[in-house]
Amino acid sequence: MKLGTEQSGLLGRVRNLAARRTEGRGLILLALVIIVVAILEPTAFTAYSVTLGRVALIGLVALGLTAVILMGELDLSVASTLAVSGVIMASIPDLGLGIVVALAAGILIGIVNAVFVVYVGINSFIATLGMLFALRGLAFVISDEKPVRLSNIDAGIAFGAPLIGPVTPRVLIFIVAFIALQVFLTRVRAGREFYAVGGNRQAAFDAGIPVRRRIFTGFMISGFVAALAGVINTLERTAADPTAGSSVLLASFAAAIIGGVVLTGGRGSVVGTLIGALSLGILQVALTLSGVQTDIQDIFIGSILLIAVITDPTQLRAAAASVRSFFQRREKAQIPT
Amino acid sequence: MADQTTTAAVPPRAASDEPGLAKGRFSLLVWMSERGVFLFTALLVVVAVVFVNGFASLANITDVFYRAAPIGIVAVGMTFVVISANYLDLSVVAQVATASVILVGVSNTAGFPAAIGLALVVALLYGVVNGLAVGVFKANAVIVTLSTTFIGLGILRWLSGGSIFFGPEDGPIRAFGQAKLGPIPLSALVLLVITAVLWFVLTRTNFGFLIRSFGSNKAATRLAGVNTALVVVGAFVITSLAAMLAGFVLAAFSNTAVSTMSDGYDFSALAAIIIGGTSVFGGKGSVLRTLLGVIFVSVLTNILVLLGIGFGLQQVAIGALIVLAVSVDALARRVGKK
Amino acid sequence: MRNTRTMFPAAGLLAVAGLLLSGCAGAGGDSSDGSASTYNVYALLPQGTDQPYGTTYLPAMQAKADELGIKLTITNSKYDADTQASDCEVAVAAQPDLIILWPAVGDTVRPCLEAAKAAGIPVTATNSDVNPEDKSLIKGYSGPDTYGQGQASAEMMCDAAAGAPTNIIVINGLTGNSTAINRHDGFADYIAKSCTNITILAEQPGNWNKDDSQIAASEMLTSVGAENVQGIYAADDTMVAGAIDALKARGIDPSSLIITSIGNTKLGNPLVISGELYGTVFQSSSWDGENAVVLAYNVLTGKPVEENLFMPSVKVTKDNASDPSVAPEW
Repeated sequence: MKLGTEQSGLLGRVRNLAARRTEGRGLILLALVIIVVAILEPTAFTAYSVTLGRVALIGLVALGLTAVILMGELDLSVASTLAVSGVIMASIPDLGLGIVVALAAGILIGIVNAVFVVYVGINSFIATLGMLFALRGLAFVISDEKPVRLSNIDAGIAFGAPLIGPVTPRVLIFIVAFIALQVFLTRVRAGREFYAVGGNRQAAFDAGIPVRRRIFTGFMISGFVAALAGVINTLERTAADPTAGSSVLLASFAAAIIGGVVLTGGRGSVVGTLIGALSLGILQVALTLSGVQTDIQDIFIGSILLIAVITDPTQLRAAAASVRSFFQRREKAQIPT
Repeated sequence: MADQTTTAAVPPRAASDEPGLAKGRFSLLVWMSERGVFLFTALLVVVAVVFVNGFASLANITDVFYRAAPIGIVAVGMTFVVISANYLDLSVVAQVATASVILVGVSNTAGFPAAIGLALVVALLYGVVNGLAVGVFKANAVIVTLSTTFIGLGILRWLSGGSIFFGPEDGPIRAFGQAKLGPIPLSALVLLVITAVLWFVLTRTNFGFLIRSFGSNKAATRLAGVNTALVVVGAFVITSLAAMLAGFVLAAFSNTAVSTMSDGYDFSALAAIIIGGTSVFGGKGSVLRTLLGVIFVSVLTNILVLLGIGFGLQQVAIGALIVLAVSVDALARRVGKK
Repeated sequence: MRNTRTMFPAAGLLAVAGLLLSGCAGAGGDSSDGSASTYNVYALLPQGTDQPYGTTYLPAMQAKADELGIKLTITNSKYDADTQASDCEVAVAAQPDLIILWPAVGDTVRPCLEAAKAAGIPVTATNSDVNPEDKSLIKGYSGPDTYGQGQASAEMMCDAAAGAPTNIIVINGLTGNSTAINRHDGFADYIAKSCTNITILAEQPGNWNKDDSQIAASEMLTSVGAENVQGIYAADDTMVAGAIDALKARGIDPSSLIITSIGNTKLGNPLVISGELYGTVFQSSSWDGENAVVLAYNVLTGKPVEENLFMPSVKVTKDNASDPSVAPEW
C-alpha cells in the first residue's frame, strides 16, 4: 500500500519523498480511526465487505478528482456528472448501449470542462460550477424530475452481488481504477507530467510539456470516473435518481484533502486519496453500526475532519511560526527578510 | 515556509480571469469586459421588461428583491473570504440556519434581545473558529468550513430537535419581515446597507487593503510584517456576521425558521460572487460586483419562473449563463489585450 | 494563546468522544440486562432531526420501541439513495431481527430488499411504500398513502369548486423527492380524470419551505395574472402558508380562493380555522412513527399483519379543524 515505487532519477526520488510526506496526516487519521473503531465497534471490520463497499462509494469519484486537483484545477461538476450519466444510462433500454453512452457522456463532459478551461480561458472553479448547476438541471430534464428505473432490473441485482468472497464488482472496479491511476501518475510519463503542470505551469510549459493536452486528459479522467460511479450506482440501485450524488462532491474533496492532496496542485497522490477514503468510510460505517444519533455522528465526523486538517505537521509548524512572528512583531517592528 | 510555495503555484491561467484594468490601450472590448456583469444584467432587465409579461410590475419587483436579499447578504459577506484567497465558506449554510432558528426559537422563549445576543455570539464563534483554523493553522478553508458545517448543523439539530419554529403573528420579527418602503422590502434595504458598509471596509480601510493584498500575495503580505492570521480571522468574521443577518432576514420574511431553509446557499452565493467577476484565486474583486451578480441571478430566476419554465431547465439556464457570462468576459479581455 | 487555540477542538473531541462512548455503553447495557425479549431492529430512514416531520416522528417511534422492548438503531440517509443502500448493507451485516425501511427513493430499494431476504431478515416499510412489484419482498407497510393524500386534497378542491371552471396554481415539494412526486401525481391524476373543470395554470417547486413557496407563488400569480387564479394547491402546509402570505401581500383575501394542501400542521391548522385555507389532509407523524414499530413488533412476534396499515387520510376543513382528533403535531 506504500508509495514504494522506485522512480529513476533524482527528480523522481525527490518528488516521491515530497509525495510521501503529504500522506502523513491521512495516515495518522487512518491509524486513529482504526484503533478507535477496533475498540468500540469491531463489527466494522468483521463486516469488512460492507466497509469496503462504503470506501469504494466514497473513493471512486475522489480518485478521478485527484487527477484534476494535482494539476491545480478543480472539478465541481463530478456529482452532477454522476447523476446525469446515471439518468442517461437508465433512459436507454439496452443496458450495454446505455453504459457505453453514459461513460461517453462522462468523457464528453470532461472535454467540455477542459475546453472552457483551456481554450476559453476561464477558471476551472467557475466553469465546473456552471456545469454543476447545468448538469443537475439536465438530469432533471432528461428524467422528467423522477427516478428512472432500469429496464433490466435483474442485471442490476446480479451486478450488486459479490464476485469472489466479499469483492463486489464495485469494489473490484474501485481497485482497478486505483491501480490504473496510480500506475498512470507514477510510471507513465504523461501522468507524471500532471505534477509538473500543477507545480509550476509556466515551467512545465517551458520544459516542453503539452500543458493543454494534460489538462484535457485530467478532466476526461475525472468526467469518466464520475460517470463510471454513476453507472455503478445505477446498476446497484436498479434505478437512476436525478438527485443522486448529493454527498459525493464534498466527500470526494474531503477524501482527497485528508489524504494530503494540495488544492493548488502539484502535491499529493492517489494513495493519499485512498487513505482519506478509507478513513472516512470506516468511520461512517462504525458510526452507523454504533447507532448513535445522527446529529452526534455529524458533530463527530466534523470534529475529526477539523482536527485532521489543523494537525498536519506542516501546518502545526506554520502555526508555531505565526505565533512566533506575532510575538516578534510585538517586541520590535523588525521586518524579516 | 512550505505553505508559501504552494500559494505561488497558482496556475497562470487564473490571471486571465481576474477583473481589473488590462494593460494596454483602451478598447471597446476591454471596456466591455470591465463591465461584463453590469451589461449582462442591464440587457437581461431590458429584455424582460419588453418581452416578459408582468416583469415590470411593482409586485414582481418586490419578489425580485425578496429573492435577492438573503442570498445577497451572504454573498457580499462571503466575498471577503473569496478575496482573501480562501475559496469559499461552506459553513454559511449552517450559519444562516442557526441564526434564523435562534432568532425565532430563542426570542419565543427568552425574548428578542437574548436571541440577537446569542446569534451574535454564535456568529462570532463561527468566524473565529473558521478564521483561526485557516489563518493560524493554515488549514484548507474548504475542509475547515466543511467540518464546521457538519459540527454546526449537528449541534443545531441536536439542541433544537430540528423542529420548525414560527414567531407570533404580531411580533417584531413579523413586522420586520413585512415592512416595505414602496416596492422595496426592508430586507433589500439591509442588503444595500450591508453592501455599502462592506464596500467601504474593503476599499477605504486599512483592513480592506490588507485583505486584498493578502489575497493576491500571501507571502509578500506576511513579509511586510502584517499579522496575516488576524486578516483571515477578520474575513471569516465578516462572512459570519453577514450570514447571521441573512438568517435574520430569511426568518423574518417567512416568520418561520427550520434547519434546512438555507440548503444550497454555499454554492449559490459562490455563483453570485463569481458571476460578479470576483476572482476565485483572491486579491481581486468587489462587493459591488457581487451585488450585481446576485441581482443577475435573481432576475434570471424570476424571469424563468414567470415564463413557466420547469426547475430542471432553470438550473440548466443558470449554469449555462454562469459559463457564458464568464466566457464572454474572458474572451473579451483576451481579445482586448492583443 | 496557544492553549486557547488547541483547547476548542480538543475539548470538542473529548466531549464528542464521551458522547459516543456513553452512547455505546447505553446500547451495551440494553442488550446485556437480559430483559424478557429484546429485539434488535434497524430503522433505515431518509430523514430525522434535519426535517420537522422526522423531528416528531422519531420520539414517537423511540417511545413505542422502548415500550415493546425493541432496541432501535436508526440511520438517516438524508434522501440520498446511495447512502441508504450502504446503510442497508451495514444493517444486513449487523444481522438484526428486522429492518424497518423508509425508502429514500422508492425505485432504488429492490437490491436492499433482496439482500435482506437472502440474509433471512424480515423487512417492513414505513411512511413511503415500496413499488407494487416489490411488495412481495416486505412483510407489510404502515404509513400514509402519499398518493392518496394528493388525491384527497384534489377531492376537497373539487368539492369546493362544485363544477365551476377553476384555474389554479400548484406548489410542489422538493424536486425529485419521492413524497413530492407521489403527492403531485395523486393530485394531478385526480384532477385530470375526475375534475376537468379545474385547470392547472402554472406549477413550481416550493422546496417544502415557506419562503421559497411564497416567492414562487407570488411569481406565478404575476405570470398568469392574479385575477385569473381561483385556487391554489400546495403539497404541504408550510408551503401553503407561504402562498397565503403571497396573496395577502397583494391585498387579496385568501378566503376568496379555494386553497388546499396536506399536513394539518401547527402552521396549517390555524389557517383552516381562520378560513384562509379551505382544507388540508391530516398526516400524523406520531401515528407514523409509532405504527412503524407496532408493525415491526407484530411481524417479530408472529402476529398476523395486514399488507397495508394506512394512516387514515382525514380531510380537515373548517367543520372539524378544532376537533381534538386532528390536533396538529408539528
